[in-house]
Amino acid sequence: MSLEKKLEKWRRLEEEAREIRRREADWKFIESQPPRVRAALIYYIESGDIRTSAKLAGMDLEDFRELLRKANIPVVT
Amino acid sequence: MLHSKPFAAADTCFLIDWAYWRYRDILFDLFQTVFVPEAVLREIKSEKTLEWVAINLASGRLALFTETPDVIELAIRIVERSRTISSLRGVDIPEAICLALGKLRGYIVLTENRGALMAADVLEELSGVVVWRSLEVIREAIRRRIIICDPEQVFKLYEEETRHRFPRSELEAVIRELREEVGEMA
Repeated sequence: MSLEKKLEKWRRLEEEAREIRRREADWKFIESQPPRVRAALIYYIESGDIRTSAKLAGMDLEDFRELLRKANIPVVT
Repeated sequence: MLHSKPFAAADTCFLIDWAYWRYRDILFDLFQTVFVPEAVLREIKSEKTLEWVAINLASGRLALFTETPDVIELAIRIVERSRTISSLRGVDIPEAICLALGKLRGYIVLTENRGALMAADVLEELSGVVVWRSLEVIREAIRRRIIICDPEQVFKLYEEETRHRFPRSELEAVIRELREEVGEMA
């Protein structure tokens, strides 16, 4: 498979994952969070990048993963 | 006859989800040893995950991997290369170390990090590296009858207990494939 086709496949999978995160997220919970944490959760929903999101939130990776569970935001791979 | 199982290297994203699952110890039926790089261990903080990791380090089923200069050098190159292709998600050092172990030592890389999956698929430097998500680990466990249960139920349980999701199209394909194989074996 060519590089362009591989990248197109990943773009499709990324969009599918983003849609799942947006759809399943508990938006009430997200809106109730302090600004820094809220921004990090929204960043995660859009990007799927857990390490940068955790840093944005000022949290450890595992604490942020637990927060994702509370916010009903699935990790999609 | 001795049947040697492969080695694996696990990254943080894999371990912190996997530790939540009731069948987490099937990992050790599939692999001889699962290496945990120091960079990964540093990111593990919760009591639940740490306890599981510590017990299995003590029994030798998990092993600490201290990064060597050749692994670090390749890992840094992977991190840099992942940032040269605009639509590729960046790879960070902990998962890059696992990918480097996949390339240099032939270990199966266990990850739930999409950046690592993309890098292994796209970067020429990582050609031949085998990367498994929990999807592939569970598939293999069902295939070898380490878990004997309806495949759909097993994946559903994993998704419920870890709050993890697999892409539907891939999951459906794996379930179909497993039902055919398990049906043939029965």
